[in-house]
Amino acid sequence: MRHLRYVALAAALTAAILFPFYSGLYLRQVAIIILIYMGLALSWDMLLRSGQLSFGISGFFGLGAYAAVLLQLNTGTPPLVTILFGGVVAFVVAFLLGIAVLRLRGMYFAIVTLALSTIFMVVAKNLPSLTGGVAGKMLPSVVFGGDSVKTYWLALGVALLTVLASELFQRTRVFYALTSIRDNELVAKSSGVDVFRYLVLAFAVTSALQGLIGGTYAQIYGFVAPEETFSFTFLLLPMAMALLGGVYSTEGPVLGALLLGALGEYLKLHLPYGHRLVYGVIVVIVMLGMPRGIVGAVRTLAWRVGRKGGGR
Amino acid sequence: MPALSCKKRIWAFAIALLAVAAVIAVCKPYVLIQGLQRGGLYALIALPMALILGVVGIVNLAHGEFMMLGAYFAYWMSVSTGIDPLVAMIPTFAAFLIVGALTYYGTIKPVLKAPELNQLLVTFGLAMALTELANLLWTSRPRKLPLPYAYSSATIGHVTFGTFGFAYLAGALVLLLLLLWFLRHTRSGQAALAVGQNPRGAALVGIDVNRTYLLVFSLSVALVGAIGALFLVGHSIFPGVGSPYTLKSFCIIATAGVGNLPGILWASVGLGTAEALVSSFRGYGGWADLVFFALLIVVIMVRSYRKRVT
Repeated sequence: MRHLRYVALAAALTAAILFPFYSGLYLRQVAIIILIYMGLALSWDMLLRSGQLSFGISGFFGLGAYAAVLLQLNTGTPPLVTILFGGVVAFVVAFLLGIAVLRLRGMYFAIVTLALSTIFMVVAKNLPSLTGGVAGKMLPSVVFGGDSVKTYWLALGVALLTVLASELFQRTRVFYALTSIRDNELVAKSSGVDVFRYLVLAFAVTSALQGLIGGTYAQIYGFVAPEETFSFTFLLLPMAMALLGGVYSTEGPVLGALLLGALGEYLKLHLPYGHRLVYGVIVVIVMLGMPRGIVGAVRTLAWRVGRKGGGR
Repeated sequence: MPALSCKKRIWAFAIALLAVAAVIAVCKPYVLIQGLQRGGLYALIALPMALILGVVGIVNLAHGEFMMLGAYFAYWMSVSTGIDPLVAMIPTFAAFLIVGALTYYGTIKPVLKAPELNQLLVTFGLAMALTELANLLWTSRPRKLPLPYAYSSATIGHVTFGTFGFAYLAGALVLLLLLLWFLRHTRSGQAALAVGQNPRGAALVGIDVNRTYLLVFSLSVALVGAIGALFLVGHSIFPGVGSPYTLKSFCIIATAGVGNLPGILWASVGLGTAEALVSSFRGYGGWADLVFFALLIVVIMVRSYRKRVT
């Protein structure tokens, strides 16, 4: 059983790496978008595992994007380095803000993160000399000169990095710390979990990933603009994906991103206006009907079947 | 804290506020007028949200979207039957009572017992879905009714200003008094207050908690729908028009403190004036949006350091 799982994992990984060789330009571009959203969905879920709901994904995504573009324009740093810089900036900002903001819980934390992403956008809009104001900034060229195969591998690399981080969160003591904070913070604290430290760590790491993904996105498309880069799309879609696939796991958001990414592309073709309606509806329906998403539902089902089969 | 010193502090605060208002009135009269008008609108929208938060205990992140839908409903009524949006407030109120009840049964009631996280996600998903629904049905084209009285103006000394904005302030005052009367002097209102304080205790003394939630939620949605009709008079509407007000309303409620309805009026006028003051400086108008959010964060942080908010 265990071996089978590794074989399947290796096969999926190989298929993902070799994907550009058996797909056309259009499919590659769709795959790049899906990988971007996959990373965001996973990073959002990683913080949710501690019970903290963040609406700040689009904020740190945009922060990373702006940091990457501005660094390249002002110093001529190579694109791949600027992507890393986007992640570092998001990490530092999230770490400092986290120290202040993570004293809050529940709706206060959620709404302050929502306000933070709006603040980032207002700042980006109103510093024209640095950020280009409402119009934003353009890069002279997109990363790899627009080579879609290399761009795909870049997006895949960033997504895999997020998967790796998520698995680290699941398999080390971080997992026990975050889960116990989510279940009962008081119990976690009295069992010796340094709640505040773990929350700041989770917030900074997930924000850094979002910044990294934002930098990647900006380099792939070659521009930043306040309305587009800080768009709620980068908040709503990843949330819908993670929720549909199943939160509190690595598989869930990955599965949700693949499903909804493909569905979203289909909808965009057939429903150009308001195709995002579907994502909002999915968030509501999943929360009402199956709060643990597809992965959770399958697990419950498997557990029930297993108990019936083996139970005497 | 003893009652006396608390009262003293409030008086000191009020006098300080009046002094600031007087300074602004002398130096920049427009700012004070604008602040009062904006603050009135903010208070009007924040009051129903505070009602839900205080009684049902959930943040309705789709609050601004219901206002947007109300405005579209009133627009549709006004265009198809030719009635004034101010008259359309009444049918909008009735229609949104039903919308609110359906929303309550469909989305709020199932998550009342769920973790706070699920409640936030449901209302956030609802907000996004409603915005996009409006986008799909009516496109993102802004709409506006040509109403001459929305541009009426008055002149005092050398200052000329639009007068319709004061309707928001008057509306906010009326709504505040109505809500206070409802909560203190009617049976349903008293029940709502009791449920807001302690749902289990309220249930124990025989209050139908579920019915109270239904009443308060529907009432609040109906109110904000009708406010949408009023909003339509002075503003052009588009699908995203309501969403900033959700966050601003929460900001005002957090500043006033949950459960403090009169405080909402003060907080709104204060924030509205601060916003108007920032936008009155030429070239820095864009920073006005920052006032709210910076203040939101400061207020919440200060409260959380003094005492845990949740």
